[in-house]
Formats: sequence, structure tokens, C-alpha cells
Amino acid sequence: MRGRRIAGTLLLLVLLLGAVVGTYRSVRPVDDDPARRLAAELRCPACQGESVADSRSPIAAAMRDVITAQLGQGRSPDEIRTYLVRRYGAEVLSAPPARGWGLALWLVPVLALGAGAFPAVHAYRRHRRPAAAGSRPRAADAVVRPAGPSRPAVSAGRVWTAGAVTVLVLVGGVAVAAPRLADTSRPARPPDPAASADPVPDLLALARTMEEQNRYEVAAEIYRTALHQQPADEIRLRLAFTLIRIGQAAEATRLAEAVLASRPDTPDALLMLGLAQRGNDPTASTRTLRRFLDRAPGHPAAAEIRHLVGSG
Amino acid sequence: MTGTSHRRRLPGRLALRRRWVPLLALLGIGALGATMAVRVADPESGTDGSPVSAPGAPPPPLTGHSLSGTPVDLAGLRGRVVVVNLFASWCGPCRDELPLLAETRRRWTSRDLQVIAVAVRDSTTAVRALLAETGAEELTVLPDPAGATAVNWGAFGVPETFLVDREGRIADRATGPVTAKWLDRHLTPLLGIP
Repeated sequence: MRGRRIAGTLLLLVLLLGAVVGTYRSVRPVDDDPARRLAAELRCPACQGESVADSRSPIAAAMRDVITAQLGQGRSPDEIRTYLVRRYGAEVLSAPPARGWGLALWLVPVLALGAGAFPAVHAYRRHRRPAAAGSRPRAADAVVRPAGPSRPAVSAGRVWTAGAVTVLVLVGGVAVAAPRLADTSRPARPPDPAASADPVPDLLALARTMEEQNRYEVAAEIYRTALHQQPADEIRLRLAFTLIRIGQAAEATRLAEAVLASRPDTPDALLMLGLAQRGNDPTASTRTLRRFLDRAPGHPAAAEIRHLVGSG
Repeated sequence: MTGTSHRRRLPGRLALRRRWVPLLALLGIGALGATMAVRVADPESGTDGSPVSAPGAPPPPLTGHSLSGTPVDLAGLRGRVVVVNLFASWCGPCRDELPLLAETRRRWTSRDLQVIAVAVRDSTTAVRALLAETGAEELTVLPDPAGATAVNWGAFGVPETFLVDREGRIADRATGPVTAKWLDRHLTPLLGIP
């Protein structure tokens, strides 16, 4: 009997601990990264029960990149949520809005917990009282037995009934509320600019994100796509820099030379050309980098390049 | 648990009714669960599904340069039927599907059919290799290296296929690989083939 009690208490403690840890994990702020926080509160549309932040599915990865890129363009989390809801439906939002009909969904678990806990506590107390008084423990199950001066015996049964009725009402409430919730949470907004217009700023923001994550191959791929859309010198130079990082100096050299051909002595182009030449032609590289220093002594990279040319 | 005790104390009919209440509650919960399961399982019934690429809606923009360097703009293809297929070389079913798409394009190109394949989160080298391997080199392929186009179209993954009709509206979409039967049933009517 005692062993069973200890085992029961232990089990209860483990369950409680699990509940506390689970609750903590679901409510704690994930971290300071706003993109990750937003991704954590969105459901991955291609998987079951995973957030966009946690899922390994390619579409979730793409959504994370889109979120980062749009935040980088100054779009608010609300705008991004709306953008994704218009594509994946209200189901991508893992938390229903806590207003209007959405509030019902928040209240239901609390009410259900109360409705379940009250009779349970009540029954437990009734179970203990006769046991403490020294009567046969098994007899405590028979709730009809008048077991103390406080309450009439039938009340536990009534409480169960009341609890059951409450659950029924709640279930009915949810059944009525759910479709309306779906209606009200559908955003009634005009199409946002992300759905139209120029894809190049999106691509550049994405490429920058990839660079921050040290995924230079993907970044180079994106810069190439952007360059197709808009053959701009700035994109050429960004692509060149990414290519230098992954050791594709030949293509980087060509890009920098193309920029210099149309705009001679552009400091950034000289810088990229100089860096690209370093592997194959150190003399030409030093010459180019010196020219870069002549043109732009105040460039953010100048100090480092001075050091590089001085020592090399 | 309390059933026998009730029966002893309460008039029979009332006791019976009380025993029914928890059962009804359980049935209610079951019914709710079933309703939700059906709603989840059947994307068609969810009226709040993705409105951007739902049938009848104008498709999201699709512009860029194909792998071969030619400019592509879906908006400029009004008057033609367009199959937009999202694929990737890292996706097995896409590999199986590409020959069918290439064959479909060859077959109906005289009926103004255009196929645009969007390579989602893939490198151009891998895509070129896949096209060569599956004999689908002549497909117009738009790179989507970060998957931004796929998200903008509300795609759930690859492969996914959208049919755009001659009026420039989304006529149908298929999540997962398409079959010859599916194309027969959904694409040929758009082409005006009986």
C-alpha cells in the first residue's frame, strides 16, 4: 500500500515536472532574433505539429529565409504574418488571436481544466476522509456512504454530472466558434507589394542572409539570379566578393573587370579585382590594391588592405 | 464508478439519465474530433486555405531569366495555357515527373501549351544534370535558389504543379507528383481538347 502510494506520488511528480517543462518551453521567448521568434510562432504548412523555426522541410527553410529577408526590408512581423496567411491560410498561425471568437479557444482549456480538476479534487477529498477516520479504505469508493458531517453523500455524483454538462457545453461552444474564427481571422487586406513588383530587392536581401549564414554557394546562386534580372554593377561586385570567398577567383576577376571597363577606377571594383588576383598573380594584386588605396584612402576596408599590401 | 450508488438513491429514470450525460459528453468530443479531422484531411473544405493561389485567382508573378538565359514572364503568356511546376533535383518524385512534363510540352506545344519549371532551392549545376538525365532539357527552367518564389506561390513543397488558363487565372493545382491521368483530366480541357 505504502509502496503504491510512493510510486503514485513519484509518477504524479514526473508528470507535473513534464507539464512545467513543456509549458516553459512553449512560452519562453526563443531568443532575441526577431526572425526566429516569428518563425517559432508559425506552423510549418508541410509538416505535422512542427513550427517553421524547427522544421527541416525545405519549404520551412524557404519560409525562414523569406521572413529574414522581409524583416531586413523593414516589413513588420504583422505584415509578414499577413503575407504568409494569404498564402498558407490562417492555419500557419499556431496561436489563435486572443480576441473575439479566438478568445473562446484560449478560455476552453482553462475552463476544461477547472471542470476536470474540481470533481477530481472533490472525489479525492471524499476518498481520504473516511480512510483517515479509520474505516475500510475500499469502502470510500462508495460515495453514497455518509462519510463526515460536512456534506451530503450524493454531491460527488452531482459534481461529475455538472462537469460532464460543462464539457458538453464547451464542446458545443467550440464547434460553433471554430468556423467563425476561421472567417474573422482571414485578413481583409489589399494585396501586399511583395506579391508584385520587382523581385531583385528580395533576392539581394536573401543573398545577404545566406552570406551571414556562411552559405556562400547559395548566396552566389542568388546573386547570379538577381544579376540576370538586373545587370547592375553593385550586384556584380557583391557576386564577385561571394565568389572570392568560395575560391572562384577567375569568375570574380571577370566580373570586377567588367565593372572597371564601364566605370574605370571604381574603388569597390579595384578592391574585388585585387582580392581576386591574389591567388594567381600576387604582383598584379598588389598593384591593383595600391590603386584602390590611392582612389579611396578612407574606404572601410582601407586599413586592412594597407596591412595586407604592406605585409605581402 | 458511482453508477450503482445513484441507482440505489435516485428514482430509476433520473439515475439512467445521469449516466447518459458523461456518455453524451464523450460522444460530443468524438464528433468534434471527427469534424476537425475531416477539415484537416480535406484541404478543399477549408475556405480559409491559401487565397493567393487558389483556383480562380490570378497567379502570383513569375518572372526572371531561364537557365538558358531567355527572359520569362508569366503575365506575358496570357492566351496560352501554362503549367507551372515546382521541382528540385534533391526530390525523387520530381525526377520521375519531369519526363512526363517534357513529353506533355512536346505533345501540346501546338495547342499553345507552355511549361515553366521552377527549380526550388537548387543549384543550376544540379538542375542541368537532372534535366540531361531525364531528357527534359527543352523545358523552360526558372531558378528559385532560396525558395522565395515557392513561398510566394503558397507551395507546400516539391513537386507541386499549378495550371494557369488562357485568361491568366489559376485553374488547378496538384500537391505532389502529377500523373498522365491527372493531366488528361485537368489540363486537356483547358487546351480545348475534347
